[in-house]
Amino acid sequence: MGGSLQGGIITRTYKPGSIIYFENDKSEYIYILKSGRIILTYTKIDTGEELKEEVRPGEFFGVKSALGKYPREETAQTIGDTVVLALSLSDFEKLILKNVNVVRKMLRVFSNQLRRLNRTVRTVLGDSDTVNPQLELFRIGEHYFKIGDFTKAIYAFKKYMEYYPDTDYAKVAMDRIRAINSGGTVADSMPVPGQKKSSLDSFDSFSMDDSDGGFTFDDSPPLSGQNGSSLSGFSADDTGPSSEFSSEIDDFLSDSDDDLADFSFDEPVKPKGDSLQDVYNRGEASLEMNNYGAALEIFRDVIDRASPSNPNEKRLFIDSYYNAGICSFELKDLKGAMNYFAEITRSYSDTDKFKGAMFYIGRIFEMAGQGEKALSYYNRVMNMKPKDSMNSRAMDRIQALQKNR
Amino acid sequence: MLELDEKFFEKFGAEYSPNEIIFCEYEPGYEFYFIQKGRVRIARIISDREKTIDVLMPGDVFGEMAILEEQPRSATAIAMEHVRVLKFHRDNFDALLQGNPQLAYKLLLIFSKRIYDAKRRLMILLLEEPSLKVMDVLIMLAEQNPQYDFEGEISLNTNSQQIASWAGMAEADAQKELTHLTRVGKIDLYEDKVVVKNIRDFQRVVASKRKHMFS
Repeated sequence: MGGSLQGGIITRTYKPGSIIYFENDKSEYIYILKSGRIILTYTKIDTGEELKEEVRPGEFFGVKSALGKYPREETAQTIGDTVVLALSLSDFEKLILKNVNVVRKMLRVFSNQLRRLNRTVRTVLGDSDTVNPQLELFRIGEHYFKIGDFTKAIYAFKKYMEYYPDTDYAKVAMDRIRAINSGGTVADSMPVPGQKKSSLDSFDSFSMDDSDGGFTFDDSPPLSGQNGSSLSGFSADDTGPSSEFSSEIDDFLSDSDDDLADFSFDEPVKPKGDSLQDVYNRGEASLEMNNYGAALEIFRDVIDRASPSNPNEKRLFIDSYYNAGICSFELKDLKGAMNYFAEITRSYSDTDKFKGAMFYIGRIFEMAGQGEKALSYYNRVMNMKPKDSMNSRAMDRIQALQKNR
Repeated sequence: MLELDEKFFEKFGAEYSPNEIIFCEYEPGYEFYFIQKGRVRIARIISDREKTIDVLMPGDVFGEMAILEEQPRSATAIAMEHVRVLKFHRDNFDALLQGNPQLAYKLLLIFSKRIYDAKRRLMILLLEEPSLKVMDVLIMLAEQNPQYDFEGEISLNTNSQQIASWAGMAEADAQKELTHLTRVGKIDLYEDKVVVKNIRDFQRVVASKRKHMFS
């Protein structure tokens, strides 16, 4: 074997039949086959059978064990005269930092291997391999529901509704969430729906009666703002933004700083022929889960479909505007958020969303580094009646801003 | 720990409260996560009981299987305390790699280690006798810490529940094996640690068994 240094990377030449490393050796070298032929021999751990694999010129070998700092999984032997490059970990790191595509390819191979190994582990453990993820997701919710861990149950049920909205189980999931939300502690005394486990195995055989185990499902649709537009609490001077405020908003919107383009983490959930209220409810569920991207899509859809002149839809329309504003705000799309909230302050200043919109406009100015403007909005919110959590949130922001001066 | 640009926190940061689910087993997964702050518990529901598989620390990555394959989550990730993560969607993966090759390198390290851990676990599970499984779990735990001197006594921070979970057996059965090993003087058993007197001895027994497993 001859060796020579090439700027840190060592070139090694081997005669036919040489062993580059043995299975179970420990070494931190990673190799690239430059020319010649190399056979890797593995022992399959679940059957003991020997597997052989040929390395092609230009390919890496010995990567995983070197990176993971564990013993070699295979023996590398040459056939014919062979030249390899031996890289230390830092050489390898330097090399791949310049070749992200190589990394991507390796990651794909690794991830396949890991997935296969995990599958074998599950088989050995006796976990079934042929599960229906849809059903299992519902079961996770049921598990947490049964043991009274409601935060987790709600999460699983909401995810279920988000991904499988058109199934019978989505209705059950929604009922479970309502039961939890309406009763807080109801679950301690709630009969465990364990007896209907068999029906869980078949979606087709499901009927609502199956889950009628002693608590009643509320059949009325869950309205978010069921009181309609209640004006009673607002005093006369709160009816709309002054022109001064309006122009500030316009200034903000015309500002061409577009760095904060909206960014969505979530897959949009496509409504499929549901009632507007159902769609809106899904949006609320996503919003509660902080899935702002998904929620925003849904609220936009409601806004598109609802007609504010229809009294039944006006409420959904305004609430969707407001919630779309919150989503945009959370997604750091300040301009998008400003558009939604400004529309509420302009056109729906007589609704209960006005105060919230004013508060969020304050937040937007604050985020944009315009503390003075933020303060003037918070001050207004703080003085609005009736006093509620929004007033104290405004107060908190005022104090925070004043502390930072 | 990754050194990432401040703008990443703004764009990709997400926070979770204690006991909040980050993602749920069987949920479709499109994102992977880097822990910035707090611990994350990885759990699965097995036979109607929630079992902790792993506890991850700041600097750890999870959900990485979602990067390259469209598969539902294989476990549930739960915030143990106030947790702050960076959350990346698979669609941004290419851009992320291009801009942060050191992240790509880090992912390679993680996958390498995860593959070995899974393979090592499989080797334990494939042993037939419960006593060998328990010994091999102890060997594996010892191997995980390169600081240990295999010629002397080795103190492992673990308990019978963890050992049972690695060995894929009921806790009572693992407890029985551990009690036996204590009685014959091979280990000292404490509530939260196991002291192995001679790990080389265990290695020999397990290796010899493994060698004859397929012959």
